[in-house]
Formats: sequence, C-alpha cells, structure tokens
Amino acid sequence: MAELLLDPDIRLWVVLPIVIITFLIGIVRHHATILFSSAKKVELQQVTDSQAMIRSRLLRENGKYLPKESFLMRKNFFNNEETGFFKTQKRAAPAQNPMTDPTMMTDMLKGNLTNVLPMIVIGGWINWTFSGFVTTKVPFPLTLRFKPMLQRGVELASLDASWVSSASWYFLNIFGLRSMYTLILGQDNQADQTKQMQDQMSGAAMAMPQDPKAAFKAEWEALEITDHQWALRNVEDQLIASSQINPEPVFTKNKFE
Amino acid sequence: MAASASAKTKRFKNDNVVYNSVAIRNNAAVIDYCRTSLSALSGCTAGILGLTGLNGFIFYFVTALCLSVVLLMKGGNDWSRYFMSRTSLASNGLLGGLFTYVLFWTFLYGMVHVY
Repeated sequence: MAELLLDPDIRLWVVLPIVIITFLIGIVRHHATILFSSAKKVELQQVTDSQAMIRSRLLRENGKYLPKESFLMRKNFFNNEETGFFKTQKRAAPAQNPMTDPTMMTDMLKGNLTNVLPMIVIGGWINWTFSGFVTTKVPFPLTLRFKPMLQRGVELASLDASWVSSASWYFLNIFGLRSMYTLILGQDNQADQTKQMQDQMSGAAMAMPQDPKAAFKAEWEALEITDHQWALRNVEDQLIASSQINPEPVFTKNKFE
Repeated sequence: MAASASAKTKRFKNDNVVYNSVAIRNNAAVIDYCRTSLSALSGCTAGILGLTGLNGFIFYFVTALCLSVVLLMKGGNDWSRYFMSRTSLASNGLLGGLFTYVLFWTFLYGMVHVY
C-alpha cells in the first residue's frame, strides 16, 4: 500500500469544514423546519369522528366488563338502525386529488423548500467548492468494490480503496451524523435528510386522510358482530378463592363469646 | 430522559402483564442515548490512539460489551420492571452504534494520523 503524503492544509480547510458544515446545516434544518411548519389545522368534525371510532373500539374490546344493559345501551347509541351514530352521520368522501386542496399544496411546497432545495444547493456547493481532494483515509482495509463509493470525484485506478475523496466524505457525514442529531436534538428531529428521502420514496409524505365513511362502515360491522360476553360472572367466587382468609372464623368469631 | 420510567404498570392474577408503551419507548431512547454517546466517545478514542483494521473493530465491541455489562448492573434485579427482555437491554443498537463509531474513528484518525 503506497502511503500518500497529504498537505496539512487539506485537513484544516477541507476535512474540518465539511464536518462542521454538514453538522450545522442539520441543526439549521431542524430549526427551519420547525419555524416553517404550520400547525396542522384540526377540524372539529375530524376529532368527533376519531373519538367516536375510539369509543366504539373500546366498547368492542372491553365491553365484557360492563353489565349487559350498559353494553347494549352503548352499542345501540352507535349501531341503531334509525338513530345510531354510525348510521346517521354522513360524511363526504375526501377530495381525491391532493392537488385540488390549496392548503395541501402549500404544505408540499414548504416541505420541498426545506428539504429538497437545501440538499441540492448545499450538495452542489460542497461538490463545487471542495471538488477533487483526497481528504482522508478510513483506518481499515477495504476491497476494490468500495472504490466508486468512497472515491467519488477522484478517479485514480491505482489509489488504494481506503482513501476517501471530499464528495464521499460529505456523504459519509450526512449518513453518519444521523445518530448524533438524535443525541443533540432529541428523538424526532427534523435534521435527518435520509429519513425525508425515505418518506418521499414511499409516498408517505403525501398520505391521504382516510375516508371516514368507509371507516364508519367497517367499525359498524365490527361492532354489529360483537356479542356481550360477561367477563365478571364468577368474580365473587374468584375473589374469595384468591384471598387467603378463611371466611368461616371471621363471621363466627364473636358469636359465642 | 434522565430517569427511566417503569414500563410495567400492573400485574394481574393470571400474569397478564400490562405494558406502558410510552415508558417502553422512553427507556429504549435512554438506552439509545447511552449507546450513541459511547460509540462517539470510543470512536474518538480509537482514532486518537491510531487503531487500524481489526483492532479498531475489536475495540468497539469491547467497549460496547462493557456498556452492556454496566447497563445490566444498573438494571440489577429489577430489570424486568423496565425492559421486556434482558438480551434486548444488552444488545440493542449494537450495530447502529457501529456506524457512529466508524465515522468518529475515521474522522479523528484522519485528523491525527494521516497528515
């Protein structure tokens, strides 16, 4: 392995700045995203719907602890053919196309503004400013397969694979500083570019609000087939069996004295 | 973040253990903080010491193992109140920390030994 002699100025003016810039940009992104993000407006009707869904689910799961009348009363409130909540509440289907909703559009625009634009600008700027340096060396040997990954921008066939070019050093930093952001900014920070990239790939960023009509119908069906299975039928016996006290002497203690 | 919350709230008669998911997530986050901090610190140490190749990786796993032992000692006999399994307490985030470790190792090694 041929040892290279690198100019110490590269250390001071390339390696260190890239680390610092990457790190500080992450923090700036975090705060900028918080600053720009508008609090999601919650519609009163949406809250009503979701709370009703939660109540219905709770009734299905824990209804066995209620007396039968109470269970049937609650079930009736949701599922009565004429007056039940799920029957009477008619919700319009949400807009099919997010493009037609102007608030959605601005949200997406803001998301792009804080995510994609800085990435292109900063990445391009780093590539342009620090192009073509062999910056550092990973302290472990690597196979030739890693060469295109670690030596972007420096195409030298004879260079050992463990040397890292400036562009690759930048990408290493982007991915490696991820857990440091978790350490400094907290668990769900906005500094992480890679997470946002994943979101965009999977389309999760554009997830539609779910259709309340279909959800109501599903919940109505689920509640309709739920029967009341009284879970506390033998509860007195169980309680007495579980306690260590023998009831006999307690009641007869003072009888003959 | 400072104190880990008790993940388990109630124990019913028939051993139905009820877990508190917020507390579980909090505890996992605390462990994650420990792991990341240690990875960064041991990465810096390895870089400054100038470890190369296999030695560096062995160093990481030795330090990570030490942290696991310390965590298990800290958990003590009460660990089951805070975590669902002992192996996850000892081995969670072992490979995730490796990435942080390699970054810091490379960075400090480059700063100190390459030029």
